[in-house]
This record gives sequence, C-alpha cells and structure tokens, in this order.
Amino acid sequence: MSELTLLLLRFGFLILLWFFVLGVVYALRADLFGRGNRKPAAASGGSSSPAPAPAPPVARPAPAPSSPTAPTAAVNRSRGGFATAANARRLVITQGPREGQEIPLGSGPITIGRSADSSLVFRDDYTSTHHARLLQWNEEWMIQDLGSTNGTFLDGKRIGSPTQVPLHTPIKVGQTVFELRG
Amino acid sequence: MTTPKIVADTSVIKTMRKLRIPQTERNRELALLILAFIVNIAMVLLVQLGATGAIDTTLVSLTATLAALVLGLHVCLRYAAPRADPLLLPIVTVLNGIGIAMIYRLDLAEGYTGWAAFSTRQIVWSAIAIVAAITVILVVRNHRILFRYTYVFGLSAFVLLLLPLLPGIGKSVNGARVWIGIGDLLSFQPGEVAKIALAIFFAGYLVRTRDSLSLVGRRFLGIQFPRLRDLGPIVVVWALSMGVIVFQRDLGTALLYFGMFTVMIYVATGRLSWVLIGLGLFGGGAAIASQSLTYVNGRFNNWLDAFSQEVYDAQGGSFQLLQGIFGLAHGGLVGTGLGQGRPAITPLAESDYIIASLGEELGLAGIFAILALYLVFVGRGIRIGFMEGDDFGKLLSLGLAFTVALQVFIMVGGVTRVIPLTGLTTPFLAAGGSSLVANWIIVALLLRVSDSVKPPRNAEVSA
Repeated sequence: MSELTLLLLRFGFLILLWFFVLGVVYALRADLFGRGNRKPAAASGGSSSPAPAPAPPVARPAPAPSSPTAPTAAVNRSRGGFATAANARRLVITQGPREGQEIPLGSGPITIGRSADSSLVFRDDYTSTHHARLLQWNEEWMIQDLGSTNGTFLDGKRIGSPTQVPLHTPIKVGQTVFELRG
Repeated sequence: MTTPKIVADTSVIKTMRKLRIPQTERNRELALLILAFIVNIAMVLLVQLGATGAIDTTLVSLTATLAALVLGLHVCLRYAAPRADPLLLPIVTVLNGIGIAMIYRLDLAEGYTGWAAFSTRQIVWSAIAIVAAITVILVVRNHRILFRYTYVFGLSAFVLLLLPLLPGIGKSVNGARVWIGIGDLLSFQPGEVAKIALAIFFAGYLVRTRDSLSLVGRRFLGIQFPRLRDLGPIVVVWALSMGVIVFQRDLGTALLYFGMFTVMIYVATGRLSWVLIGLGLFGGGAAIASQSLTYVNGRFNNWLDAFSQEVYDAQGGSFQLLQGIFGLAHGGLVGTGLGQGRPAITPLAESDYIIASLGEELGLAGIFAILALYLVFVGRGIRIGFMEGDDFGKLLSLGLAFTVALQVFIMVGGVTRVIPLTGLTTPFLAAGGSSLVANWIIVALLLRVSDSVKPPRNAEVSA
C-alpha cells in the first residue's frame, strides 16, 4: 500500500465522517424548519406552559358584554372600582404555579382550596382544603375566607370578614395571587 | 377509501393501518443507518490497512453482525415505536463503531488477539447492549409505566450501588471498588445501571414533590430558598454520592449522580436557588475531599501541576495525562491517520483515554466530528424533553440526555486538562461492557419517550 493511497484514504475517511455528521444535521433541519407551517398555534402558545390543566367547572359561558360595560371597564383599569357582575368578566392568575391562566367569571360562587371539589384547585402547602370563596352579593363580587390556616390576603391585608373586591387588586391564597379583571 | 370492511377483527385493521402509514421518520433513520454502517466498516478497514497493511475479514464480519443487530432494532422500532426520533440510533451506531475500531487498533498495537483482545469483548458487549435495548423497546411500551415504580427504582439504585461493597462479589480495580464479578470471568459495574434507575427515581420523585420544592420557602437576597424539610432529598443524594467517593473511591460517578440530580431539580422547579445550593454543596464536598482524601488530592495535583518533572515521575502522577496530551498534539489538525500513530503508549488508551487515542489518529477534525455527534445526540434528548409531553417523560429524557452530556464533558475535559481527570467512561466509545449496556438502555428509553410524546403525524391522521 503506497503512502499516497493511505493519505488519500485518510482524508477520505475524515470526509466520510463529516458527511455523516452533515447527513444528521440535514435530517435535523427538517425537524427544525419543517414544522412551522404545520403547527401555527405552537408559536403563540409557547411550549413552556404545562400540560393543559383540566378546565375548572366554573367555566360557564360568561355573560355577553352589554354595550355600557365596555367604557366602564376602560375607566376601571386603574384600581379602585369595585368588581361587579357587569364589569368583572375574568379571574386572572398572576403568580403561582398556574400563572397566566384565566378563568371566565359566571354568576355563581367560586370556591378556592386544595380539595378536588373546589372550582379553583391550588395544590400547595399553604392552601387549606376549603380556603376561600368568591361570591356575588347584590351583583358585587365579595371574597370570603373559609377559616383557612394561612389566611386570604386582599391587597396585602388579611381579611377577616367577607370583603368587597375591587378590580385589578391582587388576592393572595397560599402561594397563588390572582385578580379580577374586566 | 380502501378501509378494510372486516370490522370484527380489529387487530388486522390495526396492522393494516400501521402498514399504510408512510414511515418518514423510520425511512430517514434507515438511510442514516446505512451511512453509519459504511463509516464503521470503512474505519475498521482503514485501521487494518494503516496498522498491518493487509485486510483481515474476521473483524469486518463481526462488525457486520453488529450492523445486522442494529437493523433488527430498527425493524423493532418500525413496529413498536414508529414515531421515535430518527437520529439517535444512527448517531449511537457510529459512535459505538468508532469506539470498536479504535479499540481494535490498540489491540493490534499491543498484539492482543482472540478473547484477550478488548475489541472482541467490546463487540460481544455491544451485541448484548443492543439486545438489551431491543428488550427495553419491546417490554416498556409506554414510559409512564416506569412512573408507577418510582420508589422501586430508587431502592434498586441504592442496592446496585451497595453491591460492590459486599465481600465475595465486590472487586477492586485500580483502587476503585465499583465492580462486581464472579472470579475473573465476568465483571460488571452496577453503578452504570444504577444511573438509569436513579434518573427514573429522580424524575418520578420530582414530579410528585416539585410544587412544595418550588413554591414554599423564604426569599433571601432576591432568591427563593426552599424549606429545610424540602432540602431532605438533595441532602440524602449528596450524602450518597459523597459515600460513593469515600467508600468506593469513585470520584467521577459521584460527580455524575450529583450533577444529574441538581439539573433535574432545577428543571423541575425552575428555581435558581437549587443550582446555587447544589454548586455550593459540591464545591464544599470537593474542597474537603481534595484536602482529606489522598487520591483526590493527587488528581488535583496532576491537573494543576502536570508539567512539573516530579509530578510527571511520581507514582500515579501525570505521566498518563501528559502522554494523552502529547498524543493529541502529535495528531494535530487532521491526525496521523488510522493505524499510523502511537496511541498505545498511553496507559488505559482504550478506556479512559480513548478520546486522546482518537484525537491522535483522526486529529482535531475527527474529534470535532465526534463531539458534533454527541452534541446532536444530547440536543435531541433535550428536545424530546421539551416536546409537549407529560412531566415525567420530560424530566426523564432531560435527565438521561444530561447524563450523557456530563459524562462526555467530564471525560473529554479530564483528558484535555480542563478539569481534574476522574474515571468515568466516555459514552459508547470507551471499552467497558456495563457502560455500553447502560448507554444503549438510555437510547432505548429516549426512543420510547420520543415515540409516546410525539403527536401523530399528518399522514396518519389523513390515512
């Protein structure tokens, strides 16, 4: 075997090895770029959100927004206005394991706690089994603590009795913070 | 539509449906596999031409047998996991083949033949490993089954780790007591398999407890630190890996377990504090170990002061490390050519220093090709984790892929003097049966997870 042949074979092998690597990368390319048009939803949804949690049973159809509510909601973007059946349409979780989820508000009460029969289930060590309840009273949203161990906090203050809930005000239950929005 | 009219026999319909799915993934895999076989056989032939100048067909036929086994695995995938990732198997096949050819080349230099040769044993172990992978693919039809046995896997990992300490079956090789074996006949490193069991245990455990690990605790310096009682598991794992260092004198394995757990807990909780705690515990442990354990101290010395004459000449000094580095330097950019360098000068050239041997004969170009293959392999593993699957599969595949990455880093970094050298195996390349079996099982698990999490392709929906 002459030196030259060996030299050529030597470089030939390196080229073959890199050819394989490029073949792998080529196959990879299809996976990276070929998917975009097939799953348009994935771009906005983001893969970081966990597997879809079972929708809470409160998901009754939200009342259709009547025309006067739209300007009210706009006014109430600043804190202060109390949440009423007319201007609060969704509950948004702003902090905690289910951060970013939105639950449409119906007319019925929403129970919050660790037990599976709650309409909002938070499984962390600081939430009691039946922790708190959101309910409508005279068309206005109230939050009521159900004797929880670690308390329910409205805008940083622990509530003792059922309290009226303003819009865009954080309510803390265990490690989860949520607020009512228009 | 050509849907079969027979409704009663659903199994027939299922098979028919399966046959009609255009298996793009598997066809891509087959094409790459054929290329992989060509690379492997070409490498064996070049080794023979370079080292002896003649061609011996025994090893070529043995390599072809392995290729047939890999094809068997491929066929199994077609039926049992048609949507599995198409890149893992070809990459691993090439890495395994490169390892075998290099070990064979070192056997030629040392004059080992038959059963004394490392390459023969490596081929047999590869065959066993591929069969193990096929078994895993066929038996574990859904990775979520493993979730049910979380604690069983945790317990068996402990038992496997403790096995080498038992008198009678435990064996001590090069100072590390990590082997079990009956006589000299069969030796096995249970720690390698324990690695997989631990990964399954960690994944299952973290899925169950991550809420309390991530959400409860007090903030300090802007970082949320966990409660003391939630720290329990990480402390237990830390103590376990330190125990491995002290009693089995196996630094690399301890590092591997601890790194794997830290990364998995970080991914599960998304809290930086765990990484800080992990690094702090590791740094503390390493500092204490390097001061109080002589062999760890020696490793540090070899690393920091490798080129001094005393360290080079000392018993267990930096001679081996520097031989490897000289070999790499000798190889240069394109290498000396297969069979034409002198990698056999380095002690343990076929196991710990296989990267140095490959670097000498294939050069920087060859090493980079190998590292690129590892990169794609690990990248695919992590990608499988990030496909919209269940949390357990996500953590499991991520942990397994990270294990491979960490091993490559520890070994390549150790040989190239980036970090102190610790004895682990370079996945798929280095001579060592237990490591091969464990890594092929990892491949099988990754393939299985990727098959279960991938949504059915368009072709299947429209069929």
